[in-house]
Amino acid sequence: MARAAATATPSVIARPNRAVDRSDLFDDKFLKTLEHLHMVSRKVFAGNIRAERRTRKVGSGIEFADHRTYARGDDFRYIDWNLYGRLDKLLLRLFEEEEDLHIYILIDVSDSMSIGSPLPKLHYAMQVGAALTYVGLANLDRVAIVPFGDRVMARLPPSRGKNRIFRVFQFLRDCEIGGKTELADCMKDFVAQNKRRGLAVVISDFYDPKGFEEGINTLRYNKFEPFVLQVYDRREAEPELHGDLALVDCETGDTREVTISKSLLEQYTRAHEAYCTELETFCTKRAVPFFRTHTAIPFDELVLKIFRSGGFLR
Amino acid sequence: MSLLGPLGGSLFLWITVSAAALAVGAYIIKMRRRRFEVPFSHLWKRVLEQKDANALWKQLKRMMSLLLILLIMGIVLFAALDPTLGAIDREARSVVILIDASASMKAMDGDEAGKISRMEAARRRADDLIDSMGGGDLAMIMKVDGQATPLSRFSSDGPMLHKIIHGVTGADRTEVRAQEAERATKARAQKAAGEKSDDTPSRLLDGIQASDTPADLTRALGAAADALRDRPNPLVVLISDGAYPEQQLGLVSWDAQAPVAASADPQAKPAASAKNLAMVDLSKVDVRYMPVGRRSDNVGIIAFNVRRYIANKAAYEVYIEVQNFGTEAAHRQLALYNGDTAVDIKRIDLAPGQRIKQIYPKLPGSVDNKLRASLRPVDGPGGSDSFALDDQAYALLPARKKQKVLMVTTDNLFLEGALLVYENVDPAKLTPEQYEKNPAVADMMDVVIFDEYTPATLPPPPVSLLFFHPTGPNSPFTVRSEINGPRITEVDEGHPVMRWVTMSDVYMDKSAVFTVDAKKGESTIAYFVRDPIIVAKRDGRRKVLAFGFSLPAAGRESATDLPMRVAFPMLLVNTLDWFAGDQTDLLTTYPTGTRERVPLDGVIGATEAEVLAPDGTLTRTPVIEGLATFYGSHVGYYELAAKNPTGNTIAQIQLAANLASPGESDIAPSTELTLGGKKLEAPEAFAITHSRKIWIYLVLLAMGLIVMEWVTYHRRITV
Repeated sequence: MARAAATATPSVIARPNRAVDRSDLFDDKFLKTLEHLHMVSRKVFAGNIRAERRTRKVGSGIEFADHRTYARGDDFRYIDWNLYGRLDKLLLRLFEEEEDLHIYILIDVSDSMSIGSPLPKLHYAMQVGAALTYVGLANLDRVAIVPFGDRVMARLPPSRGKNRIFRVFQFLRDCEIGGKTELADCMKDFVAQNKRRGLAVVISDFYDPKGFEEGINTLRYNKFEPFVLQVYDRREAEPELHGDLALVDCETGDTREVTISKSLLEQYTRAHEAYCTELETFCTKRAVPFFRTHTAIPFDELVLKIFRSGGFLR
Repeated sequence: MSLLGPLGGSLFLWITVSAAALAVGAYIIKMRRRRFEVPFSHLWKRVLEQKDANALWKQLKRMMSLLLILLIMGIVLFAALDPTLGAIDREARSVVILIDASASMKAMDGDEAGKISRMEAARRRADDLIDSMGGGDLAMIMKVDGQATPLSRFSSDGPMLHKIIHGVTGADRTEVRAQEAERATKARAQKAAGEKSDDTPSRLLDGIQASDTPADLTRALGAAADALRDRPNPLVVLISDGAYPEQQLGLVSWDAQAPVAASADPQAKPAASAKNLAMVDLSKVDVRYMPVGRRSDNVGIIAFNVRRYIANKAAYEVYIEVQNFGTEAAHRQLALYNGDTAVDIKRIDLAPGQRIKQIYPKLPGSVDNKLRASLRPVDGPGGSDSFALDDQAYALLPARKKQKVLMVTTDNLFLEGALLVYENVDPAKLTPEQYEKNPAVADMMDVVIFDEYTPATLPPPPVSLLFFHPTGPNSPFTVRSEINGPRITEVDEGHPVMRWVTMSDVYMDKSAVFTVDAKKGESTIAYFVRDPIIVAKRDGRRKVLAFGFSLPAAGRESATDLPMRVAFPMLLVNTLDWFAGDQTDLLTTYPTGTRERVPLDGVIGATEAEVLAPDGTLTRTPVIEGLATFYGSHVGYYELAAKNPTGNTIAQIQLAANLASPGESDIAPSTELTLGGKKLEAPEAFAITHSRKIWIYLVLLAMGLIVMEWVTYHRRITV
């Protein structure tokens, strides 16, 4: 974003660097909204034991998880005799392992995220990320914030408790932003830096020239649970351009001269839609929760939608 | 097609190149791209790669805008060349159209039915000529009457030339009138401020109208030749009835005249080919003739004069001359009017070509000084004609006024008796003593006669003064000495006072001798050898005459036998007439179409005169040395007001103008005209009957293309 501003000529259509100024991002209204979201999340999981996100690991817990066939040497105290009486088969009872699960909120802070109206995508992503963090903290999950761009930026270590939220706000206001989008490399660095597995919520526009597949697969292959949240601006999907323009990539600075016509705009819109669909299809096929939103949708609506889908809260 | 635009070839090329460069430069600036930041150019690349297959078509579409602009510019530049459709098989000509507007053009035989005048027929012929002008032809309209008046510059603007010929009508006329009124107001203001002003009336308002003057063809041909000098293919077309004096038709030369070489022998005769400065050189000019008019029958008044009897100023004599110019016998009624009163009406019969003279003697005078002679039609064949202008003639009787004469004298029966005989005099008498007591009595007189008496106080002007034997320092003329027994040896016979007077044997026993100062306007009327003994002068607004000798009277020593001579009453009458400005040969009737010098006798200090014509137009003329220049363009009565430098009117004179021209009254038209021995042909038919200028259509096309370019650009068709 800063680089784009530095290279901007007087002919560049004015795009104020609003992503830099994040001072009003988490105001009182935002806090009230967060509290409301937390209330909703509590209703969704009324009756459940709080503060614990269960792993799907089988262990020595007290809660029944599954059955398996008895093998010689297994502890016969865990044989399910009721099932034997019914099925005449020896089956062993398995129990869940209780363990704290980390939530990693990975926020794309590259230059492409500084674009957007009425709100830059970055601010929107930060608000969504902060909202999810608050819900997680309120549920006594350990939540970490990891900004990334062309590299993984300094992160906010995992912490627990609602009172940590202000630290999260401050971190998001002050964190370093900018750079290109290098999703694959950043995910590799992330999985290498974070040994405790957990839920990885990736909030980005996924505008990586090298593609999104490798990055998401890296998370999957390293036992993280990816949760993909694509944020875009409506004017990126349906640009209002005309005439002879020189398109400048805000991250790379590449320039491409183009004469915008109606048919070209239609083609671009279709191409953008195809790209987003491609991402969605990829995630869906791999059972990766996927949400796509644009900045005009209030962030709390998005979060509620996420809650209703059950993908974030369990 | 012809290209008539005023731009030269190289200039046009420069303009074209500059305009094209400007258009391309503007197009390049227009094509400069705005920079726009996008978050993910990768997507745009994907899209654009698909469109590269149509790059050529895109280029062509983008070029379309530039091509349209260049096309529009080309059309506008082409329109600037003023292209005209029509084939041209000859070079452009410069044409001077001379339209005869003399008096004979008022004859109502422009068509078979006699419904239009020759002037109207000439205007229509001129219209046809203008309409048939070729693409590059330029025409100038010149009106020919007593003067040659160019009415336009050389132009191919047909509508403008038609307006000059016919005048303006409708809204245009209202507009021209408003402009005229504004100009007249401005001219009056300038004149009041002492600045130069132009109050010449517009020539546009009424078009070309026939005047009441004969045509000066020589002057018109000379003006046309001067206008056509150094112009390509010069042509003069004369539209006229051909009624010109033979003398004018001969003052044309078709050969270039070489200047006469100086001869060493001063006695040598000039060469035969010596240049006649009066001749018009038409050697390089093609002159054509378009006749108008059909009838030749006309009876007109060719002379109308009036004079007052010398002895009896109350009576006058009229002379009228009438001629039949037709080929058939004619009959008319000749009427003479004094004001509105018919003095005499009689029928006259004239054989073809006959000229008759009518004299009306001893007609009694009246209050109205306007005389008019009129020819009225009578019923029957030969009773009327188509030319009415010369059927009226106008004249004025010189103003007659009874003079108040005061004699300041002791009893002098000779003087008193002579004045009593004169009917136009209202005499009064005072003795010198009575005069001295009340000299103001003389202020109301026209003339004061001081007999053997020179007062200290003279009556103020304009009272004229007659002295017999003035003496002393109060004498109006410096008395040098007195001589005994003088004789009159020399007389200024040209002086009005000495008209019909013989004084060579008049006896005088003695006389004063005067010193004459010509610088003071003093002149000598009679000498004794070299001694002035009768002198006169104009002193400002009055006249003064002095005799150096006394008249005989009781109690006087000196004597003369002049009162016993026939010359004495004549001398007195002449003196009084001279004082009054009443000369028997003072003309008040002038021919139209000539410049005359009108004497403003007795008017001192006039620098300018305003002349009010019979048609109401007012013109100004300078007054130089007491003479005003008068040009009568219409028949009728004129009022001339002499003005001093401050603009005040100091005298008013009436004048009359008549056609009085046998040449103009002989209206027989000429179907052929010979100028300088060469018969003039009719103008050849022009190569193209009409030319069409197409620049307006080109401009409309350019405007349409501009709209198209705007639409295609803003609808993204050409981008």
